[in-house]
Amino acid sequence: MAFFEQHIHDEPKTFLSKYVFSFDHKVIGKQFLWYGIAFLGIGGMMALLIRWTLAFPGEPFPVIGQFLFPQTGGVVPPDTYAMLFTLHGTIMIFYAITPILIGAFGNFCIPLMIGARDMVFPTLNMLSFWLAFVSAILLLASLFTPLGGAAGGWVSYPTLSTLIGSPGVGQTLWCLALFVLGVSSTMGAVNYIATIITLRAPGMGYFDMPLTIWGLWLTAILNAIFLPVLGAGLLLLTFDRVFGTTFFLAGAAATSGSGDPVLFQHVFWIFGHPEVYILILPAWGIVSDLLSFFARKPAFGAKATALAMTMITILSTVVYGHHMYTTQMSPLLTQSFMMLTMTISIPSSVFFANWLGTIWKGSLRFQTPMLFALGVVFVFGLGGLTGLYLATVSTDLYLHDTYFVVGHFHYTMAASVLLGGFAATYFWFPKMFGRMMNETLGKIHFWISMLGLNGVFMGMMIVGYAGMHRRIYNPFVYDFLQKLIPINTFITISAITMGGAQIFFVINFIYSMYKGPKADQNPWGVGTLEWTIPSPAPHYNFAEIPVVKCGPHELGNPGLKNGRDFQYQTEELVECNS
Amino acid sequence: MTMTAVKKTLSTKDQGQEIISSVGMIVTLVSFAMLFATLMMGFAMYRLTAPVWPPAGMTKPSLVLPSLSTLCIFISSVCFMKFEKNIADKRGLMATIVLGFAFMLIQTLLWHSLKTQGIYVSSGIFPSIIYAFTWIHAAHIVAALAMLIWLYLSVRKEISPKTQLHTANTGKFWHFLGIVWFIMFVTIFVI
Repeated sequence: MAFFEQHIHDEPKTFLSKYVFSFDHKVIGKQFLWYGIAFLGIGGMMALLIRWTLAFPGEPFPVIGQFLFPQTGGVVPPDTYAMLFTLHGTIMIFYAITPILIGAFGNFCIPLMIGARDMVFPTLNMLSFWLAFVSAILLLASLFTPLGGAAGGWVSYPTLSTLIGSPGVGQTLWCLALFVLGVSSTMGAVNYIATIITLRAPGMGYFDMPLTIWGLWLTAILNAIFLPVLGAGLLLLTFDRVFGTTFFLAGAAATSGSGDPVLFQHVFWIFGHPEVYILILPAWGIVSDLLSFFARKPAFGAKATALAMTMITILSTVVYGHHMYTTQMSPLLTQSFMMLTMTISIPSSVFFANWLGTIWKGSLRFQTPMLFALGVVFVFGLGGLTGLYLATVSTDLYLHDTYFVVGHFHYTMAASVLLGGFAATYFWFPKMFGRMMNETLGKIHFWISMLGLNGVFMGMMIVGYAGMHRRIYNPFVYDFLQKLIPINTFITISAITMGGAQIFFVINFIYSMYKGPKADQNPWGVGTLEWTIPSPAPHYNFAEIPVVKCGPHELGNPGLKNGRDFQYQTEELVECNS
Repeated sequence: MTMTAVKKTLSTKDQGQEIISSVGMIVTLVSFAMLFATLMMGFAMYRLTAPVWPPAGMTKPSLVLPSLSTLCIFISSVCFMKFEKNIADKRGLMATIVLGFAFMLIQTLLWHSLKTQGIYVSSGIFPSIIYAFTWIHAAHIVAALAMLIWLYLSVRKEISPKTQLHTANTGKFWHFLGIVWFIMFVTIFVI
């Protein structure tokens, strides 16, 4: 329940206050969207450079290779290769997916879907974006330092990330960039949590919130609790690099008391495992909602889905050890972590079954957002199932650090989240910009992406199972891997296909923003609160704060008489048998 | 529920602000607590896996200065509680600020005395912990002092529900830093 009503602010007039230093959650959401999409492009380019090197080792990268690496004639040099996979991971996770799912849709959807006029702390919200901007500058600046950017992997384990492993200033800038980004995300998280607790429209209980909001809320809670853990680790790593402390120095024990490189792994994964759920929870929420909206049916077991997501949030905090089975952890501990990790499949199965229950016997509308949502169901199913082999100690010891792991986490963290992000973009675009995106281009985008994406990540699992390790510049110096050259070529071609598909998205996005057909107030026929106001949403959102009288998924009720098959959350629930 | 009935359940703006800012402050403090908890977890790991502590023949630094700073921050918290009870009496706030600066002075003296004893940041894991943890804590103290001074300036101008709120939030942060320091003092310097 709302504790008080925010008053309506004056409309910002100047360019600066309207588009740059805006307090409006919708504008900040769009800023995060641009930011995320820009970095998605940079990170994607890096992925293509990596894939090219793996498929065609020693051959120059076409077209732009000559400009990027003139000293080698366009071939990616080995040290740059390490930098590329490090920054690809960092950029995609922290600078592309986090801003799009949490920054953009978190900001845009939360006040609109809970019936508020803005976030509770608009200034904090603006600061959060501009700190993220500073962080991006720090990270990109590291590319232009003498020894290049960070090259210790996105996890930056010491000793690769201490001065011994990475002497340049790039790694230090990486630490600082992530620290600043962590502060920015924590600010966002404080804002989201407080907003959802205090500003829900009158009548809206927690279970009347759309599942999107549930996902974003749980994500914000994990962010607020676990980002500072990474922050502490990064601070100590920075101290090690800049001031000469010995926290993560190996071999310091003999001379001056003990430093411990493995401690960083603990700290990193205490944060890192919740982080993967931070990324996926908003996507789960969005998909749970969209499946119901486009199947024209109430979400099957919506309460159970919300509780299952909560359960996973809690469990995600106690399973981090499964990333560290090969660090000589005691078998008692590895088995405990294995047990706990396996437990996550119970709530996961619950909401997965609920997804299937939602579309079962629905009258499905295969519009672009629905296609992407169904895509998430498919790729997340595959990603989730392959996780079991990595949670099991005995199989993980074999699969550890192979491309199987890479395939698995790309299916869950990259494919699912990316498709979820696209689904959200196509779905909320009308409310953001007041125009519809093109359906045909959207469908082409979906099918080519889906084809490319499965080629890449399925292929990765196969080569990983065959024993190819990640992070090797040229794996084919090993005889037993030479037979994998054709399949690596296939993966690279799939990756180029997937990259190419995004051109359709960019064209569609930019064209629709200016020239797309005007969207009416409720183009999808959905009853949540954001569809009760005009498109694009006015700067004050709701002229009158809405009063919520029913849940978000009231679709296909046979009692509905006025020619609609859905009802708004502001309407009294229609009796089914009336 | 009719619209007017709903309007009645909405609290006044000040009450709303109070709830919002205390929710916000609590979440923020949880974040800060996790930062320090991680540091303490790291310390526990080093400490429990080392065969002797302090390692490498080091002796523990003298307790005089850390005890003094603990005393300072404890009294400052008590003063602030007095101030919270009666905002009109600004002496409590003034004492908190003075004691806060005294705390920073003693920490600086502590770093200086360690240096004169030949204990540098890079001398091993124990000095690393002492320096890094006190640095991180001191950085927060500096931020909190800025908040206290800002509070002093706004209280001097007027006393409104807003300054009341401001006082409560600053107080939470200041007491939190006092507790963190007490835990650091006991675990790093005493035992």
